[in-house]
Amino acid sequence: MTAAISAGVKASRSITNPFARLGQHDLYKKLLKEPLTYVTGAVLLAILQISSFAVLGKGWGVTSAFTNWGAWIYQAFGGDPASWAYFASEKGQKTISGGFLQDGGSIEDIGVVVGALIAILLASQFRIRGISDKRQLIGAILGGLFMGYGARMAQGCNIGALFTGISALSLSGWVFFIFLFLGAIIGGKILSTWLVRK
Amino acid sequence: MAEYSIDCKGEACPVPLLNTERKLDELDKGDTLIVTVDHTCAIKNIPEWSRLHGHNVETIEIGTGVWAIVIVK
Repeated sequence: MTAAISAGVKASRSITNPFARLGQHDLYKKLLKEPLTYVTGAVLLAILQISSFAVLGKGWGVTSAFTNWGAWIYQAFGGDPASWAYFASEKGQKTISGGFLQDGGSIEDIGVVVGALIAILLASQFRIRGISDKRQLIGAILGGLFMGYGARMAQGCNIGALFTGISALSLSGWVFFIFLFLGAIIGGKILSTWLVRK
Repeated sequence: MAEYSIDCKGEACPVPLLNTERKLDELDKGDTLIVTVDHTCAIKNIPEWSRLHGHNVETIEIGTGVWAIVIVK
């Protein structure tokens, strides 16, 4: 029965267009369409983490840049984020006055989004997904707010505080890991009771 | 040997996997479940979970970024 379905699907795809033919190539499929194994992903992450450290001179982080984006937006509306305790250090002052193009972390974040878009387009799997129901919408908004708040309180997210922290042999990375795990248990319980259709 | 299907389009991980788990619980041995998903991580974790639990599973791309995961319990 499954074989019949896949045979039908294969037959229905006409392979006349050269790009479509490239998409059917085994190597193309393996490299660009099928998910990488966890080990390949981990090795790539490690290499990119080291490269980022070598170029920027600081560990890879994602969410600190979002804080800067918020501060710049606030500044654009006439606010004075340079007076905040968060940006009180010399480095913080430099970030605020330097702007977007001087902030390696911001460029990296844009790179993550653009890279993901290119990857999904190459795999021809791009799709705009709608919101399935109200609960998903509320869950996503609340989840995003909690994650953003938590990442600032913890001085980093699972990249900056966990991945970079542990790879720099910092104890704080492991403390973050314990609480990340506890949070995931609570989140999983909320998800399976509230968000999964009965 | 009945056939069931669930539509998990628009659901993000791990909701499709949890829905699959719950639905498969209700099925008898030999029944087929077709799960439609549009989230890339679901085509990794659903087949993985299914194989781990001894079900036959095949993933078919039925459209741009849409897959049917066929699981035989």
